[in-house]
Amino acid sequence: MKKTFYIFSNGELHRKENTLCFEGDKGRQYIPVESVSEFLIFGEVTMNKKLLEFLSQQEILLHFFNYYGYYIGTFYPREHYNSGLIILKQAEHYLDDTKRIELARKFVEGAVANMLRVLKYYAARGIDLAPYIEELESISGKLKENSTIEQLMALEGLAREAYYETFNLIIEDPEFRLDKREKRPPTTRLNSLISFGNSLLYVALLSEIYKTHLDPRIGFLHSTNSRRFTLNLDVAEIFKPIIVDRTLFSLLNKRMLDSSHFVKELNGVYLNEKGRAIFVNEFENKLASTIKHDKLKRNVSYRYLMRMELFKLEKHLIGEENYEPFLARW
Amino acid sequence: MIVERITPTLVWYYYICRREVWLMAHDISPQEDDNLIELGRTIHEHTYKDERKEIALDGMKLDMIKRSDGAYIVCEIKKSSKFEFSSRMQLAYSLYKLKEMGVDVKGELLIPREKKRIFVELDHELEEEIKRAIVEIKEIVSRELPPPPERNKFCGSCGYRHFCWA
Repeated sequence: MKKTFYIFSNGELHRKENTLCFEGDKGRQYIPVESVSEFLIFGEVTMNKKLLEFLSQQEILLHFFNYYGYYIGTFYPREHYNSGLIILKQAEHYLDDTKRIELARKFVEGAVANMLRVLKYYAARGIDLAPYIEELESISGKLKENSTIEQLMALEGLAREAYYETFNLIIEDPEFRLDKREKRPPTTRLNSLISFGNSLLYVALLSEIYKTHLDPRIGFLHSTNSRRFTLNLDVAEIFKPIIVDRTLFSLLNKRMLDSSHFVKELNGVYLNEKGRAIFVNEFENKLASTIKHDKLKRNVSYRYLMRMELFKLEKHLIGEENYEPFLARW
Repeated sequence: MIVERITPTLVWYYYICRREVWLMAHDISPQEDDNLIELGRTIHEHTYKDERKEIALDGMKLDMIKRSDGAYIVCEIKKSSKFEFSSRMQLAYSLYKLKEMGVDVKGELLIPREKKRIFVELDHELEEEIKRAIVEIKEIVSRELPPPPERNKFCGSCGYRHFCWA
């Protein structure tokens, strides 16, 4: 099974004969190339073209993050799965408004339904979330009637706003309050955790898209404009509540993170290296955890569930089966 | 979509799963991180290294051509005999195409891991079956939608299994 490798320290990543080698402060570490599916690079890492050639040949992606943990870009090797039919269909579904909205609506529906699932879980454990659940349900009802991308985006924003308000009730640790969701820069610890978690989810999805015939540049809810990749943002909406948010609830309610894992810089609050390592570890555990899949009748990991979501999208695009978003059952 | 050319591999897929024929013909390729596909590729690359002569002819790739008692024999190398019937038909199709070009040869299926060789000769019956298959492959590929998934004994090891049942 291929794994995601995270590099937090500084050093040099290079090709060593037919394998990979990272040389940093802690010495030389060999990384068998067959064991890697992607790298997430947070440290200051030097590399050369020979390495990029090798990674491209091995179909390995490199995701880069800056000093503050912001996503900056991906080395996305030349496509290995090409299907003219899928690309044409993807573009057709973007250009045809009716088709585009139909898909965009599914992403928002999935996102809101999974937010509700999270809230209902905590409501069942005795937290009073009734007014929020009611509000999300009312928004969910309105999704069917709305007919423009902007309206769908606005409803999604409203849902998320109400949903984030509940975080102060769900998270027991008073050190982690979320007064207002802020991204650029994140001003509170919880804001920075949400932003960091979402970035990890975006790149995980991008890596899964690479393994399908889909083009990551053509999204449906998010417009294809100055952003390089958008399809991963669309699909991420569905998985944020059940992957990112659940990861951070478990990190905080188990008190695995505290103030010592954060730094305050540039008017913002960020996770430090140690904090990131803890987060990433819990996030990877979440992606690797499995649930029973109805149709396959066997257990699949959350990471693989994301790939299957993309397969469903491909089937929708070729006109075989209408896309229905994954809905968590607990 | 118009198929300009039916490849021998498409014939192979035809005898396993019709849906696979449609997907392949539309370049919706199976998952390559599948270990079995890797294994097949490795066997292909590392067996018969010395005698191997690969020939590409009119849209098909013949794994190996060897000479035996003055006659040429076209060989197809396979990982296992699990797909023996499909493989025989694939080879029969190559022989049929060669016959159309005016080359009458016999074939052999080689399964190095099992030390097996299976002789294939294009007789009248086999030729009729190939002609029938060609007509149906063309019909499947020209459809707007892929044939719906149907479970068969090959699903478990197929590179499309998660796509089909997602």
